[in-house]
Amino acid sequence: MSGKGNVVRPFAFFRAGNQAHANPSQRPILVLEDVYKYFRPDVATLRGVNLEVERGEFAFITGPSGAGKSTLLQLIYRAQTVDEGRILFCGRDIARLTSRSIPYLRRNLGVVFQDFKIIGHWTVYENVAVALEILSMPRRLVRARVSEALERVGLAGRGGEPTSSLSGGEQQRVAVARAIVSEPALILADEPTGNLDPTLALDILTLFEEINDTGTTVLFATHDHSLLEARSHRIVYIDEGRAVEARKGLGAWADRQTA
Amino acid sequence: MPLKTAIARAARAMREDLRLHVVAISSLTVAFLCLAAALFTMTNLSSMAESWARQGRMSVYLAEGAQTEDVAQLRLLLEGLPEVREIEHVTSRAARAQMATESEDAELSRLPADLFPASLEVTLAGGTTAARSAVIAERVGRFRAVEGVETYEAWFGQLESLITTGRVVAGALALLVLLCVLFVVANTIRLAIAGRRDEIEVLKLCGASDGFVRGPFLVEGAVQGFLSSAIAVSLLFAAFVAVRGEVDSTIAALAGVRSVFIHPSIAVALVVGGGLVGATGSALSLRRYLGV
Ligand SMILES: Nc1ncnc2c1ncn2[C@@H]1O[C@H](COP(=O)(O)OP(=O)(O)OP(=O)(O)O)[C@@H](O)[C@H]1O
Ligand SMILES: [Mg+2]
Repeated sequence: MSGKGNVVRPFAFFRAGNQAHANPSQRPILVLEDVYKYFRPDVATLRGVNLEVERGEFAFITGPSGAGKSTLLQLIYRAQTVDEGRILFCGRDIARLTSRSIPYLRRNLGVVFQDFKIIGHWTVYENVAVALEILSMPRRLVRARVSEALERVGLAGRGGEPTSSLSGGEQQRVAVARAIVSEPALILADEPTGNLDPTLALDILTLFEEINDTGTTVLFATHDHSLLEARSHRIVYIDEGRAVEARKGLGAWADRQTA
Repeated sequence: MPLKTAIARAARAMREDLRLHVVAISSLTVAFLCLAAALFTMTNLSSMAESWARQGRMSVYLAEGAQTEDVAQLRLLLEGLPEVREIEHVTSRAARAQMATESEDAELSRLPADLFPASLEVTLAGGTTAARSAVIAERVGRFRAVEGVETYEAWFGQLESLITTGRVVAGALALLVLLCVLFVVANTIRLAIAGRRDEIEVLKLCGASDGFVRGPFLVEGAVQGFLSSAIAVSLLFAAFVAVRGEVDSTIAALAGVRSVFIHPSIAVALVVGGGLVGATGSALSLRRYLGV
């Protein structure tokens, strides 16, 4: 009925809305096994990252600048390819996906960036709708889902406005609406608050938490210490190419940062 | 559905970057106009050759002081041939007068009429082969009253070789236009890709297939080729209609033919081919600058 039916979508079986019975074994949604990434032959940016993320989890990814937070997320949405190890998303090794299959992976992910990556000369509606139009979804359905997404990010009724006229915080909300409109299982946010002032940053964080409350898994990369401290979510700390759980050790890490 | 989306996205992109596309279409129109004009010339040369071949002619020049009864006998023989449709006796005076009016040189009419040979102008039936008219010419040439026979074989041969050369030139021009269209479209699409890097990035991040990303650019290339060739053919047709009357009453009348436009199937092939070449140029650019 919805046009999507005739498209082959290897990851279509997993959606946020029906995850309760999506997979009886309740395997983690994302597993990184001994992941290595080299940008130079002699220097590994990531060297043996092991990480498990459960369905519906909210996790911060943090670490010093240049630690490889962005790289880690890029490996998950396949802007980069792992050199060694495996990344299992919904049980599938996405490190081995052919380039033809990458679009199908990305349709099950929502990605949000520090620089928003929205098109200024498009309207708010168009910026969000694009994530559904690529699926050849009927226009009526697109309209309904976009207005629902805009409502969720607090931009109800503003679809007709040109995006460039919005404030920074509002533009990031448009980007979030685009990321969630296709109801992906996993949202990757790479410093989404990096360009926003502290109160706006907290608003956006809250927005991601509301999305997480509906069952969507969220990986939120940030080095903003105030955000990490404002919440009690899991913290994955990346340093020297490895991932360590840092919730408990946050104080120690903060000491090291200021030292 | 995907084609519809691609067309809608292409239409929007072309509206948003109108100048780029107008410049491209204008230069492509010039290229296609050259090609269409060459094809038009070829069409008319061929039709001229065809009509000459259809209405074969022969001039039988009579010897000086040919006897009237000899000429009458000659006419009788010619009229008896199934290939002969019409015979006109042109006297020396008539030949002089005709030459004088055609060359607009009054001096000619003062020369003695004897200098201009009298002739029998023979019109042959359609479909008479060159070999057959040569046989007739040979038979007629044996008559005492006949000084010489002109079958216009040489003229015809010259026209034929002109057409052959024309075909080669038109072929080379077509190749040149093809390369030019590929180059212009590929370049325009390269600029379009550069101008829409952000959009392409967003589409890919959202999980658009390569086909979805390529679609609008291919449509834009095809539209450029299609529109410019269609405009070129239309301009040529407008020019043809505007000057046809003039040409038909002068040059064409002298050559004994009427001017014709390029065949509709060739016009259609030009426009459809333009669209295909445009899409190809776009595909080349996409492969090079988008890697899809
Ligand atoms: N495409 C690339 N080519 C070469 N080197 C890269 C590339 N991307 C990242 N790197 C290198 O990998 C390392 C990690 O970069 P990354 O962007 O992942 O860090 P980050 O943790 O996101 O830092 P920040 O907090 O500043 O955003 C850096 O040393 C960087 O220079
Ligand atoms: Mg980064």
